[in-house]
Amino acid sequence: MKFNLFAAEEQAIEKARALGETLAVVAPDCVSDFEALVDAFQRSTREQRRLVRVSDRLQAQLGTANQELERRRLEAETALEHLREAQEAIIQAEKLASLGALVAGVAHEINTPVGIAVSCASHLADATARLKRLSDEGAVSRGDFSRYLATAGDTTDLILANCQRAAQLIAGFKQVAVDRASAERRRFNLGTYIQETLVSLQPKLRPLGHTVSVLCPPDLELDGYPGVLSQILANLVMNALTHAFPNGRVGLMAIEVEQPDSDWVRLRFSDNGQGMVEENRARVFEPFFTTRRGRGGSGLGLHIVHNLVVGALKGSITVESAVDQGTRFVLLFPRQTPERD
Amino acid sequence: MDSLNIPATGRTPGVTFDFAAGHLRLHGESYPDDVATFFGPIFTALRAYLAEPDDRPIRFDMELLYFNSSSAKVLMNIFQMLEAVAKLGRPVSVSWCYEENDESMRELGEDFSEDLRYVAFSLRDVPSGAIG
Repeated sequence: MKFNLFAAEEQAIEKARALGETLAVVAPDCVSDFEALVDAFQRSTREQRRLVRVSDRLQAQLGTANQELERRRLEAETALEHLREAQEAIIQAEKLASLGALVAGVAHEINTPVGIAVSCASHLADATARLKRLSDEGAVSRGDFSRYLATAGDTTDLILANCQRAAQLIAGFKQVAVDRASAERRRFNLGTYIQETLVSLQPKLRPLGHTVSVLCPPDLELDGYPGVLSQILANLVMNALTHAFPNGRVGLMAIEVEQPDSDWVRLRFSDNGQGMVEENRARVFEPFFTTRRGRGGSGLGLHIVHNLVVGALKGSITVESAVDQGTRFVLLFPRQTPERD
Repeated sequence: MDSLNIPATGRTPGVTFDFAAGHLRLHGESYPDDVATFFGPIFTALRAYLAEPDDRPIRFDMELLYFNSSSAKVLMNIFQMLEAVAKLGRPVSVSWCYEENDESMRELGEDFSEDLRYVAFSLRDVPSGAIG
């Protein structure tokens, strides 16, 4: 038997027709009114069928729209995921690039003592050759000999001092570079570590006459990730150099460390540069936010700083600034970095 | 009689009833929050227009892309009113617009025309995106 949604209505109409025939016999006056009633009922049934179809169509459209919505939601989520991955990749690349800059900075820094040592050694070699020639000729005077001794003394002192300086730079750099690349956890003296990091930045600071003063309790020992700290400081210094001191203005930067209590470290990095407007200040930590788009700004330096302070050091960072009032970054983080989960 | 013009909104259709020209048109989408409030004044105007003795032809363009069940019942009521004047001899035509490829809308049009005997009913397909 064929399924009929409106079987009951159709049966009612058939019954009404039968009733109409009876009515024609017993009450002929009522027939036309009755037929109009049956017609109205029939039309109403047809309208009901149409409304059901309209309603079904709407339901189907809703279903399609929901599917489409779900599909687009998935698409948007996938796109967001790709974007996050791309951002992460760019941030990693930026970190590597800053490691490259560190290497270049230290190479430049070591160049000076090594250069001095080489020229001293060469001067000493010349003096030695001259004395040897005189000695071969048996013509060494007392004066020649004492002049040679003076030269040898001066140059060996310089060679030694500069080689020691180079060795010290290499040791410091090695530590910073290894920390940066390996992200190993260890105990370290904060003041010393800040100084070692600043050494690699000297080539950027010195030519323009900028200085960084450091005020740090000498015995403050941290247990955590020195590489992270070094990266943070390097990025803060580079950010200040890029933005704070335009037109050859000579800048002062200061790193001040204090302990609000024995478990926490507050590190304030400030510059006396041109500062920034509130609109930019509010956005400095946003990824890809830069006022120097197309002029070498990636918009990632301070975003990385923020990530590292919050993510790696489990601390917080705030920034205060106003036009011509300089800029201050205040980092607050535990002296002993909590274990990563 | 003045024409009745109501601009379309997101939920209510555009109404363009040019009574002088005998041209009535509903277009856009129709799922008003309150059917009575929206369609009440439209029915009043339409009833007054159809009540005037006149034998000039009437053309009704149904160009709704999307309508809810209440609006469907509204359409059926309008069609019945038009059928009534057509039965008295006034030339009335109804054109049911649907977007090409929208089979179910075309079939609905056929369904809606099943009670129209005196009204000249036609289906008109238009390229999708062309009405609204």
